[in-house]
Amino acid sequence: MKYLDLALNEAEILGADYADIRIQKTTSQSIYLQNQSLKQTSNQVLDGYGIRIFKDGAWGFAHSNVYSAEAVQKTVKRAFEIAKLSATAKKGAGLCLAPERSYIASHKTPMSIDPFSVPLSEKVALMLEVNRILKSYEGIRQAVFYLIMNRDEKLFASTLGTRLELSNTFIDPIIVATAVTAEDSQSRTFDEGGRAIGWEWIESLDLTEKAKQIAQEALIKVKAETLGAEQRRSLILDPNHLGLTMHESVGHPTELDRVLGWEADFAGISFATPEKLGNYQYGSKIVNFVGDNTLPQGLATNGFDDDGVPGQKWHIIKDGILQEYGSTRDTAMEIGLGYSRGCNRATYYFDQPINRIPNLYLLPGKEPLTPGQLIADTEDGVYIQGRGSFSIDQHRINFQFGGDFFWEIKDGKLYRPLKKVLYKSCNPEFWNSCDAICDERYWRPFGVVNCGKGQPSQTARMTHGSAPARFRNIRVGGSQ
Amino acid sequence: MKEILSHIAEFVAQNCTADDYTLNVEYSDSHETRFAQNAITQHIAGSNINIYLETVFAGKTGSASINQDDPEALKRLITTAENTAKLNQEDPEYVPSQGFCDIPKCHGAADATMYLNPEKMVDIVKASIANAHAKSASVSGMCEKHYQMHLTATKNGFFGIYDNSYFGHSMTLKKDAVETKVSYSSRDYATFKLMDTIGKLNTQFDSLGKPQSFDPQKIAVILRPSALMDFFGFLAWTMNRRYADEGFSPYTDQLGQSFFGKDFSLASLISDPDLSSTPFSHDAITAKDTSWVKDGVLANMPTDRYWAKKLGIEPLRGMRNLYIPGGDISEAEMLQMVPKGLIINRFWYIRTVDPKRGELTGMTRDGVLYFENGKVSHAVNNLRFNEIPHEVTRRILAMGKSILCESDSKMPTLLVEDFNFVDKTDF
Repeated sequence: MKYLDLALNEAEILGADYADIRIQKTTSQSIYLQNQSLKQTSNQVLDGYGIRIFKDGAWGFAHSNVYSAEAVQKTVKRAFEIAKLSATAKKGAGLCLAPERSYIASHKTPMSIDPFSVPLSEKVALMLEVNRILKSYEGIRQAVFYLIMNRDEKLFASTLGTRLELSNTFIDPIIVATAVTAEDSQSRTFDEGGRAIGWEWIESLDLTEKAKQIAQEALIKVKAETLGAEQRRSLILDPNHLGLTMHESVGHPTELDRVLGWEADFAGISFATPEKLGNYQYGSKIVNFVGDNTLPQGLATNGFDDDGVPGQKWHIIKDGILQEYGSTRDTAMEIGLGYSRGCNRATYYFDQPINRIPNLYLLPGKEPLTPGQLIADTEDGVYIQGRGSFSIDQHRINFQFGGDFFWEIKDGKLYRPLKKVLYKSCNPEFWNSCDAICDERYWRPFGVVNCGKGQPSQTARMTHGSAPARFRNIRVGGSQ
Repeated sequence: MKEILSHIAEFVAQNCTADDYTLNVEYSDSHETRFAQNAITQHIAGSNINIYLETVFAGKTGSASINQDDPEALKRLITTAENTAKLNQEDPEYVPSQGFCDIPKCHGAADATMYLNPEKMVDIVKASIANAHAKSASVSGMCEKHYQMHLTATKNGFFGIYDNSYFGHSMTLKKDAVETKVSYSSRDYATFKLMDTIGKLNTQFDSLGKPQSFDPQKIAVILRPSALMDFFGFLAWTMNRRYADEGFSPYTDQLGQSFFGKDFSLASLISDPDLSSTPFSHDAITAKDTSWVKDGVLANMPTDRYWAKKLGIEPLRGMRNLYIPGGDISEAEMLQMVPKGLIINRFWYIRTVDPKRGELTGMTRDGVLYFENGKVSHAVNNLRFNEIPHEVTRRILAMGKSILCESDSKMPTLLVEDFNFVDKTDF
């Protein structure tokens, strides 16, 4: 693309210390079906480019949706002028960028069936059938199926000499059944959070069977009892639920920009400060978290990040000890890291990339352990499936989570279904209370496609994963 | 820009063959200067146009959006939207698009915001940083300005166009355990007084010391306007006529009932020049001054065009801004009205716990002060609450004067008894 060279040449003529251009076309199709009514069947395209200029230790970023030589030059100049202005309000010598080599590479999400090639009629027929099944259950008042398919096609070039061609696709089906009685309304959701994969994933999910399951469970849930007063109990959390828990309580606290205070005004900072690296007991000895932007089907497996740094795999927590952060070229040097872990991502072309959570997962237990054995080994506890209410303080210490479906465990058995269960805990209490993790046979990935962060707000995607795990002595109770 | 948007509308009118369509075009231009730890960390500028077309053939809908406005792109937009509709299933809830109607007047873009230049914005940031240096603290925040022009047109004759603007400046000042935030936003930069905002920040900062440990409990709270905005802002998400009628929310069967505290009212206003608003929604529901809660009675709920037609009532657009009328009790007087309590500056990370009961959870943020015997005593740690907003309004003991706390929110200070804190954090 001629505009790549044009932009970089222009930036060098102006005197940029570093520059990159990211031409990005985001194509998405979203279909929202509610009670057999297609509320939205939409095809969206956002196409443009963002240019970053690094000058005198500061950034300038300008974007445009106009493809012409004149517009590209104008955008470069604007980014350069902004960078110079930024440099008048820098700290000391300003920012430094971690060293990185140049790459000429491409990456494309592996898939068998391109979801954009599947006829709309086929998608809608499946959705209507799932919706019809949900509504066929008496007591299900609302049936929702939301399907989103997204593709980001990027051309990236930098003054380091890097040239990248990237194409990343993901799909996310969400099905919700809401049951209503005279006293209550409760929903049950099928939501695996999306995967970077083709339509073959949808075909493998057997969504009509899933529909029956969530409709039945919504009806069970709306009639279920609540747990009552809060007391310390054991918790067994399924991988889907743990995906959100680790996202909030491990993923965000180990984003290096938060650690540095760059999110202090909005998303918050982190308790996991650099002096804790290598010595802080974040979790019990069986707790091992890995950042992995090479994970197959991972939503943050993009080949390279928006700094032009390749996807990597590294320990963030090893044997319970905080090891490292997710970092970018500019945040890494602030703690003298000397290299980036490749976590700089932007959502759309008009977004300046920021430090995001990588694909982050909890390694499975090393000893053979099934979910059935874990439940059988638990006298008094609650088993939580799926994601519900979640809230955490701005230092990422205190949190309260709900879930989507709950079972009380008594004497090693699933005793009764529950609703409105909440647990409260904090870092580092929670992860240090983890005393058992099922083995790799039960490890499953779950995506997050709506991670909000930054000013202006951006929505990033990443995949989490775990096997079912148990946490001892956690405050668990019913809602108010 | 108005000519470009109108030209797009003409092009669609001439080339779209659908039975019905709704076109939304939005042009935006933004400049955002983000700073943290006493330095600029991000600096963004650019403009964009988003063109969204929904088409209908025989009750089948399909839509598409693009951000290019050349004729070829517009043709692709129309073709994609039309083909999607033709291939789709009929929507049983399809309602024909809005026809011609008079557009209410709203306060549009402010010149001072439109012409605010990047140099001046960086000067504002530098002054904020200088203040932080003077207090041996660090400041993080964002100085931003936005201009937007929006057009909505339908096949049935609705045509509306408006512009608006936004200026915002926020600062979080932090030194050791003391951390607090002040923000200002308005459609009109001319109303911004930097030194007043910095003064407010410093006053708030100076009032906070190292937090002392405070256990969660039910206790009286003085909710300052920014906290109230966070707390009741959630009503904009949950108060919906259809959801209530179908049994999903706490407002089921409560319309016309005294459901909130009798001293509590809530409205959205387009007539208030301080409050930013827009004259119509994307589905062409025109705005008007609307009372949602009047003296404790649930008076109205946002109602979409399908549900309104089904019920045989007028649709009501969602809450574009929020106004809670206040009283005349000062914060100093509130301190005297209860034996002890907490002053809350802001809330953070509010989420729904129980949609049917309307229960929310969230944390305090940006400083909590403990008071007793009529005087502020000391800062305390942040706390988690689990509360139900409509029940909170039944526990209002006093109301202060309603003030503009963000460009879309005018709120008073409230004194509320027995606010339910359930957990604490260690800072």
